[in-house]
Amino acid sequence: MNQPADPASTAPVLAGLLAQTTGHRPGADVQLITRAYQAAAYWHQGQTRKSGDPYLTHPVAVAAIVADLDADDQMLCAALLHDTAEDTPYTLTAMRQEFGAEITGLVAAVTALDQVPAEQVSAACADDAAAVALAGDRRALVIKLADRLHNTRTIRYLPRAKQVDKSRQTLAFMVPLARTLGMDSIGAELESRAAATLRRRPGSASGGLLSAAATLLPPEARARWRAEWLAELQVLPTRREQLRFAVQIVLGIGRLAVTLYQPAAAVRRAFGAVLTAAVAASGLVAGGWRAALALAATVLAVLAAVLWILHSHDRTQRLADLIRALRGRR
Amino acid sequence: MKKVPRMTQATKMVLREMLADPAAHYYGLQLIKATALPGGTLYPIMARLERAGWVTGDWEESVAHIAEGRPPRHYYQFTEDGAEQARAALAGAYRPGQRRRLDFGMPWPDLPGIPR
Repeated sequence: MNQPADPASTAPVLAGLLAQTTGHRPGADVQLITRAYQAAAYWHQGQTRKSGDPYLTHPVAVAAIVADLDADDQMLCAALLHDTAEDTPYTLTAMRQEFGAEITGLVAAVTALDQVPAEQVSAACADDAAAVALAGDRRALVIKLADRLHNTRTIRYLPRAKQVDKSRQTLAFMVPLARTLGMDSIGAELESRAAATLRRRPGSASGGLLSAAATLLPPEARARWRAEWLAELQVLPTRREQLRFAVQIVLGIGRLAVTLYQPAAAVRRAFGAVLTAAVAASGLVAGGWRAALALAATVLAVLAAVLWILHSHDRTQRLADLIRALRGRR
Repeated sequence: MKKVPRMTQATKMVLREMLADPAAHYYGLQLIKATALPGGTLYPIMARLERAGWVTGDWEESVAHIAEGRPPRHYYQFTEDGAEQARAALAGAYRPGQRRRLDFGMPWPDLPGIPR
């Protein structure tokens, strides 16, 4: 069994990786893995992940995932080196001289997988043989999956649009690929993480506005309308469109509240008049949007007060409370 | 509470849009885009149509929303006799194109510059 070339120069991360590997496979070529680690450390020097961590943490994490899948020495080295050919000046030719054709072939296959059109990958996902034919080597696909798994675990550092993009891709291609290769636990983790990312709602001003508006609706109807609007909000591409959608609903919230509460016909007609007047007045002050907004807010406040009174068991009591409260403030 | 909803211009627009394919499912934003009505007008109309029993709402069941990264949609669809009632209401509703003219028992004179 080989020993690390120089224990003092091996960082604790490498020691951990080596311990993990020899734990699985006592005969692992520790020297070769150490050299691959050092090459990766050299070429990724100065690069950082989106999280701010040194870039090297990524290939080491991928190698660690692969090591748990009973990988051989070549796979481990290829995992450590998998991004060097693409993201650093290190060339495949130089790699072949240092690490041999097998490792270099794996790295080349992993790099090439990034450039294959998505449709081909998805077609290949249908059966194992086609997937292997595409990658040249089944081991390259395993490294690719480990790469995606680590990227998925650290996806929170990416901008939201990229998170959505990557997560969709993961669900469409990577999860079926993992299943095809019989790597069910990785497939399951990828699937649950990607689905969770897609489910998470980005907090936005429009969403807050709609949630606030929904509180004017009857309690039993609030959750439904809120959920319906937030679902619509998600498919509007720009913030501007989202805000317009939200503002339009807020302006019509009175009508919806009236429809849902179903007060007596006379009250409904009165509301109709108030709302029509409000809309007309907002139109009159077009240009002075602050005034229009203030007016709309006042109308909403009055409406909310009236509905609040109508929905109490003791209306006169509540009306009296309201008047007392308003007087008390003055 | 089954009550025939008031046939406002906006209500008629929504019903016509939905009658284009009475069996289909429609979601709010889709109807907003198709009719160019603001959301503040459309959703109260949908609430009224639901209340009248013409239309029912249901949450999206397919997994498409997970793949597209959004919460499930609320879909509207005509009830069994909803489409029929909507058609009848549209046919009976006042239409500006068919305004009845005063009939003086003689043709209107053709005046230059004044449309008939």
